[in-house]
Amino acid sequence: MPSNLTWSVIAFIVLIIICTIFYHGFLSLKWNTNTGGLAGPLITMIQESARYLMIAAGMTLVISTAGIDLSVGSTMAVAGAVAMQMLIGGANVWVAILCALLVGLLIGCVNGALVSILGLQPFITTLIMMLAGRGLAKVITSGQNADASSIPGVAPLHWIANGFIFGIPANFIIAVIIVLIVGLLARKTAMGMMIESVGINPEASRMTGIKPRRILFMVYAISGLLAAVAGLFATASVMRVDVVKTGQDLEMYAILAVVIGGTSLLGGKFSLLGSAFGAIIIAMIRKTIITLGIDAAATPAFFAVVVIIVCVMQAPKVHNLSAEIKRKKALKAQSKEVAA
Amino acid sequence: MKNIWKKSLALITATAALVGMAACGSSNNNSSGSKSGKKTVGFVAVGPEGGFRTANEEDAKKAFKSAGFDLIYSPTQNNDQQKQIQAFSKFVNDGVDAIVLSATEDSGWDDSLKKAAEAEIPVFTVDRDIDVKDAKAKNAVVSHIGPSNEWAGQQAAEFMNKAFPDGANGFILQGPAGLSVVKDRETGWSAKANKNINVLEKQSANWSTDEGKTVTAGLLDKYKDKNPQFIFAENDEMGLGAAQAVDAAGLKGKAKIVTIDGTKPGLQAVVAGDLAEDIEYNPIFGKETANAVKDKLAGKKVEKNIVIDSKVFDPTAAKQALDAGTRTY
Repeated sequence: MPSNLTWSVIAFIVLIIICTIFYHGFLSLKWNTNTGGLAGPLITMIQESARYLMIAAGMTLVISTAGIDLSVGSTMAVAGAVAMQMLIGGANVWVAILCALLVGLLIGCVNGALVSILGLQPFITTLIMMLAGRGLAKVITSGQNADASSIPGVAPLHWIANGFIFGIPANFIIAVIIVLIVGLLARKTAMGMMIESVGINPEASRMTGIKPRRILFMVYAISGLLAAVAGLFATASVMRVDVVKTGQDLEMYAILAVVIGGTSLLGGKFSLLGSAFGAIIIAMIRKTIITLGIDAAATPAFFAVVVIIVCVMQAPKVHNLSAEIKRKKALKAQSKEVAA
Repeated sequence: MKNIWKKSLALITATAALVGMAACGSSNNNSSGSKSGKKTVGFVAVGPEGGFRTANEEDAKKAFKSAGFDLIYSPTQNNDQQKQIQAFSKFVNDGVDAIVLSATEDSGWDDSLKKAAEAEIPVFTVDRDIDVKDAKAKNAVVSHIGPSNEWAGQQAAEFMNKAFPDGANGFILQGPAGLSVVKDRETGWSAKANKNINVLEKQSANWSTDEGKTVTAGLLDKYKDKNPQFIFAENDEMGLGAAQAVDAAGLKGKAKIVTIDGTKPGLQAVVAGDLAEDIEYNPIFGKETANAVKDKLAGKKVEKNIVIDSKVFDPTAAKQALDAGTRTY
């Protein structure tokens, strides 16, 4: 197991232990006949993690091309707004889902086009899209928080976010399958390597016959599409879009998940598995905040402390340091043996 | 060839930006020039953030228009106070006749208000009250107009007192930390809640439906053994999320949820039995605000604190209000 994953797993286990100490029933699972699935703190945690898995997966690909996508949170809001507004307008639920996904994809394509064809800075491009997207979501719902919970025929969408498959949250299973598909595409074809090579040196990769523009365009498009899926998870969970709150700050969570997973912000190397773990850790930190009942004013600080600890523990310098200590110990033991 | 394209593109965007700016500038001049002899009022607003705000600001715009004022509407984005302060200074510099301030944050207004006091521009705070330390800055604020948050919190507590005379356990879902709304609603609650109405935990769900649901689900898990029977959600959005978590946990009807706002989805949920009661936080007070501004500019005395009446919606009242179809939000 690569070392960056070790620390993520350790952090995850430590958080679970802390929660269990604080609330003994943390790991308890029971069958909830009301929802037809398992119920318990861990279940709500993985239910929430689904949306982080989506945006973290997209963000991983973008970051490994040395780019960044700050618009995922806003894209979530736009996709959610499209879905809810269409449902209220009487559209078929599948049409609404499809349109939401298409709009997400479209936003991703615009990002991709601006970055790859015009060569704009990813940071600026997606920052603008983040502001524009928030505005777009407000325009779509005319500034209201569109509520489709009482619309008939929305059951399939509600199920996607709240339902269960063999007792396990459906949205988590869907998210894992999507991450697996992205992983297979990236690692079983040459796509992953091309993305990494573009991240290291776009010019050199162009000379070896890779089309950096196409790759760049594609990663932003994928990120937009996955953000739309995340937006559907987030809004369908309550069948309501909060134009200001849906997806707010989630671009930061996605970046944190990717960094926790060991993908370098400089690009050129990525670990989807690491990002997936990072996403689950983000959900776990949020669950810990609720379980410990940390004061609202202190939650961002708590969040930051946990993330920084994980990042510090997996920093190369710290690794070298611990390796150095081990080496010295071994040397000492050796010299002792010699002396004896 | 490619360079020419890029350059021309840059040129086009630059021109567009310039034209846009010029357009803004000219429209501002028109409105603050008050050629028509109308009094100009600057409205430092919050901008779209949900049903309440939209209803509130649309109503204010309408009321000022019909009262014969020129209202310059300047919304901020994502509750950014910096933008509000900039808009405020701009209004002071432009020398408007009065400023209406709907602040996103309750502190940090002293400097801006001092400037307004120097320029002798009366300031009216609406909705959220602000916390001013400086005496000179205090003088600039003529009046605060809005519904009472403390009253709303008190109503929530009184409902629980009545519903659970033998006491009960429950939670409070708070808004974001540090807002005066949150503090006032809780002050009201604490003032009226009986000793046996035991709050197991307060948690922030950031005004959001989605977080309201996850936080409530977490709290219901954690306090399973304590039989939580009530949830006081400080706004409708969080309450609606809480209702879904309660429903999923199979506790519908057993855990009573009271919220503050009185939005349409909130009232619908009261009628459907998902919420027990919704306490209105009445956004329709544009007329009162416009009257206060008018009186002040006419040299009349204006009350320091104008409290707007709100209603309490139990299922019957909610049904009536919805059937009447007069609610704008």
